[in-house]
Amino acid sequence: MVTNLEYTSFELMAVTGARELKDGEIVAVGLGLPVVASFLAKRTHAPSLTILLELGVADPEPIHIGSGLSDPRFWYRAKIHTSFVDMLGMVLHKGLVDVGFLGGLEVDAYGNLNTTLLGDPEGKYRRFTGSGGGNDLASCARRTVIIIRHEARKLKEAVSFITSPGYLRGDGERERVGLLGGPARVITDKAVFGFDPDSKRMRLEAIHPNTTLEDVLSNMAFQPIVPDNLPTTEPPTAEQLRLIREEIDPDRMYAGS
Amino acid sequence: MTKLCTLADAVASIRAGSHIALSGFATARCNIAFAHEVLRQAIKGLVISQCVAGIEADILIGAGAVDKIVYGGGSRGRSGQHHCICRAIEQGKLITEELSSLSMTFRYLAGALGIPFIPIRSLNGSDILKKLEQFTPPVVSRVDDPFTGEDWLVLKPLIPDVAVMQVQVADEEGNAWILGPRWDNAEQVRASKRTIVITERLVSTEAIRRAPDRTVVPGYRVSHVVHLPFSAHPSSVYAVYDFDEAHIDEYAEASKTPQGFQKYLDEYVFGVNDHWGYLERVGGLQRLSALEADPVLGY
Repeated sequence: MVTNLEYTSFELMAVTGARELKDGEIVAVGLGLPVVASFLAKRTHAPSLTILLELGVADPEPIHIGSGLSDPRFWYRAKIHTSFVDMLGMVLHKGLVDVGFLGGLEVDAYGNLNTTLLGDPEGKYRRFTGSGGGNDLASCARRTVIIIRHEARKLKEAVSFITSPGYLRGDGERERVGLLGGPARVITDKAVFGFDPDSKRMRLEAIHPNTTLEDVLSNMAFQPIVPDNLPTTEPPTAEQLRLIREEIDPDRMYAGS
Repeated sequence: MTKLCTLADAVASIRAGSHIALSGFATARCNIAFAHEVLRQAIKGLVISQCVAGIEADILIGAGAVDKIVYGGGSRGRSGQHHCICRAIEQGKLITEELSSLSMTFRYLAGALGIPFIPIRSLNGSDILKKLEQFTPPVVSRVDDPFTGEDWLVLKPLIPDVAVMQVQVADEEGNAWILGPRWDNAEQVRASKRTIVITERLVSTEAIRRAPDRTVVPGYRVSHVVHLPFSAHPSSVYAVYDFDEAHIDEYAEASKTPQGFQKYLDEYVFGVNDHWGYLERVGGLQRLSALEADPVLGY
């Protein structure tokens, strides 16, 4: 599709993330672009999407963007206010969440996600958030979608700390440790990745508009599988951009300026 | 029977070294007035636990009141990391028994049910589990499902000495309503040996009886009830007041360094006699009334 609409890389990531969600599915979201993407999907192609927030909120319809999952702006017009045991236990742990939607500090070639620390776990490091519900989503959802900035320091051969497991070191290791599902997509501001069904190594699926293969690969610290046929990511529509800018994130808290 | 008392009396019931379950989540229903009073009474050596760390955990840890945290991680969201917690972990000054939101809740649930352990799918294959396996006495183990033979990770229950609950409405017996999402709070109360309720509004037991479906904290598990408005400020209390963004920003900036954090404590905790003094110091009724929640929005 040819378009001359201008949009930010955050908006493209949000739109691409939204497309991963199908109508009728249940998605549990982490903070940041996953929230924007989920509300965008719900307002466009997936009106019957059920959005869960781990702390005990189901199907909210915010009219103001929140600064965190604990911000009551994200709880507005919810159908249920409940608890962790209900959301993460009786929906997620039971195996009923279709998509766990996460961001992170680092992701590696097998979709393992780090939100805990940067540096040497046994030596000097900088501490960050840790898991929250991230590990639970990555362990128990039917599939995981990850949104992360496309930088070599974030896309690594192996992460320094596995907070939320992907396929571990591949070769069936995830199933052997008893985990369900696994990462289905990694969306960056340059490309979309999936995972090779056999080796479970990250595989390039599409390149964003105005981005080259060289630009994608030179900004990663590992070599993904590159298929011969590489489509270009579909750009945002005018309506998707309007929804993000006017209704979902008018203060540009997550979708960038 | 009335359990109504002052915050000072409720906090004085906590012994050094106790395990306290905190009710906050990031910037919501944090036990701020409680944490300040713990510091004024110089209670030390605490173990604190909660699913996702709130600002009260950051304050208690920054001030050196805590030896150990059992939690599932956490930050203030867009407003940034809990600087005091991160600094204490980076410097090896805090024993950190770290899990995830669900595994924390499951440990409280097992404690609440009085069962010896609880199986979970989360944590498997992660470095979180590798670190948990290093604890002695153990907090994780594995069992074979006696029905299928399948191998399961199991967690040790959590049984805190005291749960401290920030609530919207309670009576003198401690029957309390928690409005809005309640994360791990119901399980924390039921896992703990006793509960201190800190409420924004005090109502009659008759008022509680008229809407018992809202009661999350049962009075028969409560030892103390403290009636203290704005006791979660600067965090939010759903349907009562919004979080104080400007004050959280001030705290966030101050807590970036130990010196800045100490200055914050000197001004807002040690520089006032009690919670009423704190409320005046942060701007008094004029500032606080601007935070009152809209009844439709809840914030």
